[in-house]
Amino acid sequence: MIRRLTVPLALALLVFGFWTTPDLQEIVAGVAIFLFGMMMLEDGFKLFSGGLLEKILSHATASKARALGFGMVATTLMQSSSLVTLVTISFLSAGLITLTAGVAIIFGANIGTTTGAWLVAGFGLKVDIAAYAMPMLALSIVLVFQSSKYMRGLGFVLAGMGFLFLGIHYMKEGFETFQEHFDLNRFALPGVLGLIVYTFIGAAMTVVMQSSHATMVIIITALSSGQISYENALAMAIGSNVGTTITALIGGVTANFQGRRLAQAHLVFNVVTALVALVLIYPLIYSVDTISAAVGIADDDYALKLAVFHTIFNVLGVALMLPVMSRLIAFLKSRIPEPASDVLTPIYLTEATDDFPEAAEEALRKELGHLMRNSETVIAEALNLDLEALIKAPEIAALVQASRTRDPIDFDTAYDTRIKPLHAAIVEFASRMGRGDKDTPEVVMHRIHELRDGAGRIVRAVKAVKHLRRNATRYTETDHGATTALYNAIRSDIARMLVEMDKIRNEDEDRRSALWLDEERVQAKRAYKDAIHVTEALIRDGSLTPAEATSLLNDSQYGYEAMKDMIEATKRLHVETEEGLDEVERILSLDDDEAEEMAMNTRERED
Amino acid sequence: MGLGKSIEKLDDYYDRLAQNKVKKIKPDHVDKVLSKLHGKEDSLREEIAATQKSSKKERLEAKLAVVQAQIRRGEWLREEIKTDAAES
Repeated sequence: MIRRLTVPLALALLVFGFWTTPDLQEIVAGVAIFLFGMMMLEDGFKLFSGGLLEKILSHATASKARALGFGMVATTLMQSSSLVTLVTISFLSAGLITLTAGVAIIFGANIGTTTGAWLVAGFGLKVDIAAYAMPMLALSIVLVFQSSKYMRGLGFVLAGMGFLFLGIHYMKEGFETFQEHFDLNRFALPGVLGLIVYTFIGAAMTVVMQSSHATMVIIITALSSGQISYENALAMAIGSNVGTTITALIGGVTANFQGRRLAQAHLVFNVVTALVALVLIYPLIYSVDTISAAVGIADDDYALKLAVFHTIFNVLGVALMLPVMSRLIAFLKSRIPEPASDVLTPIYLTEATDDFPEAAEEALRKELGHLMRNSETVIAEALNLDLEALIKAPEIAALVQASRTRDPIDFDTAYDTRIKPLHAAIVEFASRMGRGDKDTPEVVMHRIHELRDGAGRIVRAVKAVKHLRRNATRYTETDHGATTALYNAIRSDIARMLVEMDKIRNEDEDRRSALWLDEERVQAKRAYKDAIHVTEALIRDGSLTPAEATSLLNDSQYGYEAMKDMIEATKRLHVETEEGLDEVERILSLDDDEAEEMAMNTRERED
Repeated sequence: MGLGKSIEKLDDYYDRLAQNKVKKIKPDHVDKVLSKLHGKEDSLREEIAATQKSSKKERLEAKLAVVQAQIRRGEWLREEIKTDAAES
């Protein structure tokens, strides 16, 4: 009910405000133009995702100090801590960065965001900023219409900056006109009450506008025109830091457990910093005066002094929180525990990665790995095998032969709970990324399709094993002579493949190559040819009944198809994604007929 | 097993490169993949040496044959890429 009334109420308040106080229009229009500029700036930088942004982020998070520096620099350049926060949440959700790196980026972003106050106080108010805005807007439109994604991105960034400048100009002019008729300063509240009330006003403004940057601009322009007192402006700046946590909290709603942890880290950081700033407000004001005097800022230049204050209290917050960062992370991990790994729902596929194609691709790759692990367990259980025991076994064939007891697995339930929901989620996610509005780069979209295809292959492999399961159980529970030996051979081949999948998964990424899967393809083909060869020989000498022979020929085929599909899915999981390397892998890999030829060659040598 | 379909795939790569659809392969790229294949070759050789059972040995040798075929292709590709880099 309240949510439904919010928009009409906001519109009604604005219209009422414009009607009673026409001078308000210019200020509000300035805020609107500024926010529009922020949106364009964010859209522009998002066009640099799908490659560049992700590469920089993944390289910049190797250490806590680098992650902190990245947060500072990225926020300074983009002038949007919200965008940096959302990119960080998406990367964290996709498992591309650690929680420690994510929290360090957020800390850095808080320092980076203080440059906005310097930009407005030091530049925006001192020069005719609109004179810069006009050529920027004119030039930007030429770039926006270019076909190159990065040129369009640059165009949006330039236009965003132009609108930011224009917004600041109108806010500044608006407050100056407003001042001639009204004096908001009469609402100034001194002392502790003023601190508390104006902190809440600053927080509320930021929640409504979803931009601490916009709040700071309003505070600075209002302060410079004398509409609010210096002390109340300081309180509003503290409040804007608390209000900005709303972006991370909203972003965290659609993220996984890691994204939610980061959103809470952001909240804890900003609330603690705000409390410390409020408690130490007078020593901080004294520090601002001392520093301002030292760097030559005039005693009555409150706008610049506010920028100094904003910087000091954010740096103080980081200085206070960095030493307890490990404890904060441990607290968040205990508060929001990681879901069990073999859960029936997707772990990595969240809406938080939607706007960042490479993070989305990585999330999809990790989810495919999750589906792969579930399917390996289901396949082993369907063949009455224990996957963990197989991985440790020195002699796989002997363990398979000894594993005769029927495992009480309900295959359909296992498929419906451990395979089907993940497959459905992968298909839905891949389709979502393919929608036109996502603007996913072609090369990333191609890899996303390959991963979705991999998920389909896993499902086919599990279904093939389902067909094989009945006879494999029937002929291996009790001894049926040659038939039992042949079914055990099929089970052993699948078991070896499962063990190899596990080895490849656990191999160091710098050593692992998807080309290794070609050996498994040849091996699977060779095992299948062997099974057919032996079965046919046994049919000829009358060792198999026609029913047994038919079952064996069909089930050898199912076994081979299951192995082939699992190998192909694993290949899609570990394929090189770096351009250049991916082409080398493609050129060196064996085609199906080449794998067949190699399988035949090795069999002939043995014959 | 010779170069198989690799020649065809390399031609296809050059076609797509001419259309700016792919990034250029550098000798470093080939070296990186080759080092991974050599790593696998070494570990297979060690495993073969430590294996007594003949059927397992045969399987490992068949795998070794595949990785060696890929190494031969990789070495050929490195020469092709180097020649191309020298010519351009």
